[in-house]
Amino acid sequence: MNTDQPGPGAGNAAEHGTSPPSLQPSETRQALRDIRSAIVMLWWRFFDWLAVVPWKTLVLVSVLGLILAAILHYHKPFLLFIVASVIIKVVAGGKRRAELTASQATQRADTEQLERTVLEARMEALQAQIEPHFLFNTLASIDQLIQTDPPRASRMQQSLIRYLRSAMPQMRDGSRPSLGQQVNLSSAFLEIMAVRMEQRLEPIVNVPEGLKSAVFPSLMLQTLVENAVKHGLEPKAAGGRLEISAEIVDGQLAVHVLDNGVGFMPKTDDGVGLANIRERLKALYNGRAELIISVPPAGGTCATIKVPYEIAPAT
Amino acid sequence: MHAKPAPTAVIADDERLMREQIVGRLKEAWPELLIVGEAGNGREAVAMVQSLEPDIVFLDINMPELDGIKAAQALAGQAHVVFVTAYDEYAISAFDHGAIDYLLKPVEPERVALACRRLRERLQQKPDPMNDLLEQLAQRLGSGGLKPREYLRWVQASVGATIRMIPTSDILFFRAEDKYTRVQTEGFEALIRKPIKELIDALDPNEFWQIHRATVVRVDAVAQVSRNFRGNQLVHVKGREEKLEVSRSFSHLFKQM
Repeated sequence: MNTDQPGPGAGNAAEHGTSPPSLQPSETRQALRDIRSAIVMLWWRFFDWLAVVPWKTLVLVSVLGLILAAILHYHKPFLLFIVASVIIKVVAGGKRRAELTASQATQRADTEQLERTVLEARMEALQAQIEPHFLFNTLASIDQLIQTDPPRASRMQQSLIRYLRSAMPQMRDGSRPSLGQQVNLSSAFLEIMAVRMEQRLEPIVNVPEGLKSAVFPSLMLQTLVENAVKHGLEPKAAGGRLEISAEIVDGQLAVHVLDNGVGFMPKTDDGVGLANIRERLKALYNGRAELIISVPPAGGTCATIKVPYEIAPAT
Repeated sequence: MHAKPAPTAVIADDERLMREQIVGRLKEAWPELLIVGEAGNGREAVAMVQSLEPDIVFLDINMPELDGIKAAQALAGQAHVVFVTAYDEYAISAFDHGAIDYLLKPVEPERVALACRRLRERLQQKPDPMNDLLEQLAQRLGSGGLKPREYLRWVQASVGATIRMIPTSDILFFRAEDKYTRVQTEGFEALIRKPIKELIDALDPNEFWQIHRATVVRVDAVAQVSRNFRGNQLVHVKGREEKLEVSRSFSHLFKQM
């Protein structure tokens, strides 16, 4: 590299002998560009300050500045500067102030949206808690089947894996959940419970193929299904039927979980899961969705979630 | 001297696979033990122990009809008890000083062998009814007698042709109307047959206040209280036009602080 012929006016660089002289002009240009952008930034900051500062403060700052300028004998240009500032504030201040307020409002709205999203995520995580009883009982059943019926043990383990994959929030992709995914999760759960409870559980899944692409919030169906098994069918010695069905009613997607178990107890405070669904529906749909618990004429419990019908984007 | 009769046991679990597992493990660990019966719920277990009089009963804790703890209480020392559970959420392990034995599912062969050794020793004595221990456990399980009073959390009411369970947190107020009581929520109204007089006893006094012979209001639904020209207090309910009169005998509820 050629370092013994320093370029004009590049003394410093030449002494260090590191930068080739051919790069000098572009470096100067870079420095000029930096200074210019700094001035522009300072100007806009001053402009923003001018737009929002109260008149009283402006007058006070002007008087103090004027005194200082007078001591340094620069009062004439400073007076001109004050007049220019006042004109700028009168002419452009209002518009700029409105712009600033608007951007602050947008920021606040973004924060609120973020807070809602965080709240929903937290409530969803709460709902995603896997019952230790379910997990350990299922593992114990698999352990027993490994000795007596290995192919069945393998199928049950696959159902458990399918269930865990979709029940753990951190294992799901970020896409909006569809009814089909939620039905698959609950089907895996019901397959496991049917192996364990044998003839005491008769699961029926009756969801039209065409509705499986509809948007449906995560883990709500599963909470209803788990409730029906735990509070409806497990306490009943003879067990019973559990049916998942879906339909469109007045433009809304209605998903039902029906069981013929022991029926809903008016004093059960185990409404935690149900209260959670209500809160989440409120946060997600703002009054356009609801959870209804009803008592079918034949006994047992019917839980229904109604949400606006919407097709999930293909993934 | 002739041989002692072989020890006998009953196994109770609502899942057949789990009964099979315990039976299998016991056969390995204690071949002489005779399994004389298998029960699918707590009630069956109690009946079976009473008729077959086994030395030992293995009781699953979560069973329909009657849970394992209540079944053990009902048996009151008629057999030596070993509890079986998938998940020790009630910390039975804390009671594990030989008085109560327990097994965790899936049951491990070594753990079963230990339980069998302890049982052979315990068989020398009469079974201990363990009244105090079981009472403590029952309370942990929430099935004890000393529970705080339970209040209504849901109201069963007719809405059109269906019977709905309405969570009390959705109800704004109850109001007596002719033979019925009106249940008012934000979105709809329903009728129930239960009179206000009976309802107020079943509702949580921290959640609902009676403000009139004919009216019960949910405290959280009260927006404000005003006075009419006669000086009576009127309760304004959130999101509704209707105002509810407070009778003199209940006016102390809304006294100024």
